[in-house]
Amino acid sequence: MIDDETAFAGRDKCAVAGIGSTVFSRNSNRSVLSLATEAALAAIADAGLDVSDIDGIVRCEQDTVTPYSLAAALGVRNLSFWADTGPGGVAPCMMMGIAMGAILSGQAKTVLAFRSLNGRSEARLGAGVPGMNGERIGGFGKYDEFYLPYGLMTAGQTFALMAQRHMIEYGTTQEQLGAVAITCRDAANATPHAQMSDKTLSMEQYLSAREISTPLRLFDFCLESDGACAVIITTAERAKDLAKPSVLIRAVAGGAPSDLRPGMMFPVVTRNDMTELGGQAAGKKLWSRAGVGPAEMDCAQIYDCFTISVILQLEAYGFCNKGEGGPFAQSGAIGYGGKLPINTAGGHLSEGYVHGMNHIVEAVRQLRGEGIRQIPGAELCMCTGGPLPIGSSVVFRRAA
Amino acid sequence: MNALLPYVEDRETGEFFRAASEGRLVFRSCNSCSRAIHPPTEHCPNCGSWDTGWRESKGAGRIYSWSVVKHQIHPAFPVPYTLVVVELDDSPDVRLMGRIDGAVELTPGTRMHVKFEPIPGGGSLPQWYPVKEE
Repeated sequence: MIDDETAFAGRDKCAVAGIGSTVFSRNSNRSVLSLATEAALAAIADAGLDVSDIDGIVRCEQDTVTPYSLAAALGVRNLSFWADTGPGGVAPCMMMGIAMGAILSGQAKTVLAFRSLNGRSEARLGAGVPGMNGERIGGFGKYDEFYLPYGLMTAGQTFALMAQRHMIEYGTTQEQLGAVAITCRDAANATPHAQMSDKTLSMEQYLSAREISTPLRLFDFCLESDGACAVIITTAERAKDLAKPSVLIRAVAGGAPSDLRPGMMFPVVTRNDMTELGGQAAGKKLWSRAGVGPAEMDCAQIYDCFTISVILQLEAYGFCNKGEGGPFAQSGAIGYGGKLPINTAGGHLSEGYVHGMNHIVEAVRQLRGEGIRQIPGAELCMCTGGPLPIGSSVVFRRAA
Repeated sequence: MNALLPYVEDRETGEFFRAASEGRLVFRSCNSCSRAIHPPTEHCPNCGSWDTGWRESKGAGRIYSWSVVKHQIHPAFPVPYTLVVVELDDSPDVRLMGRIDGAVELTPGTRMHVKFEPIPGGGSLPQWYPVKEE
């Protein structure tokens, strides 16, 4: 156990006081602003607060809903702090850090963090690529010119190249990837609101599903969802007096890989070690700041855009050694009743894809004792975001 | 459907694509510490020098990773095709992408050589193919 009380001034100083979600679906038939508004109102009500209490709003930089439009739609009259963070799935954990920074520096008292997307019916992350209209690719610091003209166009293809390399170096198997998909599906099967609640997944089904980009198959890919999630962050002191048991933000940490290269996710193929994530550096800081280690987590919500992302992050954050993520996943350690149950509502692979935000909501449910499939006595839960090109992470703790 | 054309006027990266159109493979390199810089930046992140330029590659390398794409994304790239990541013999710090039509059988470390292929609509891209065993 690492314990350095002085290292992280923010430890346990802020808390998540409210959580809210919309339905997750393939077609919401609603605007992303309405989805964000509904999730925000649910989170505000859950905290026992009023819209007039909100004075800060933070979002993912890929969200098309701006903090000021959401403030307008909600009827927030006192917006005094706002911020964007990213990229993509890295945002939610870093939103906790930004909210904490705003609150502890006196810039805001009650911060709303949200993510809203019609990720299936309008803006599919797995399909949209630039250059469709004949414009030139890349330049101006984007660096996409080295990848898109070669047909490397999606996150799925990028993670397929990482998975292939992990297989070459460590002997990771298709069945080990499958174990992650099946673990998340099992959690979703116990979660009525999960998009895959009614669909079971066997190893036979996993292995016989169509290949998308080898070695990744259909069920190695997360869902594409329409939906929104929101959380309310305030001081730990104030959260104590609000409606629900408060969940403390124990520590937040971001990190970058040791040889970061310019561009967004694609340049991972150029890094010296394609299977090293920013999460490795983030994890070292996270555990030091939290004063607890990976072995003490009662559960974890690991950002699962793909099955391989989970295996890489289990290694990066020190839940197992480098190269052992596959056997760790296959051992049952990550399932319900295992030593580190992950993605306890089904995660992005099977609950819904709200770009990291539904992981934060589920972490809070578990630590309040409101888990749909509750981990008995859960006191500590970590969440990750990312995992490309940089990583972010949070440890949450149930208030004493 | 035209291919996706790279932007070739960028100050940091353009020379890679302009050289490819002339059948030359180049990569950015630091004139002070000799370290290769890819993807290219004018500033050397290794030694901090701004004195960086372009070096000619011998056009040979080994495969580092690959994926056979089977799900159609863009009409310019009919599936199946094989994405290849090649580590240059000139420098382990430079890995380049390639795309080969069809599902290609590869093994780790396969020797690869460069071939310049015209892009429909203008210019060329360096592409990579397995070296045929003698």
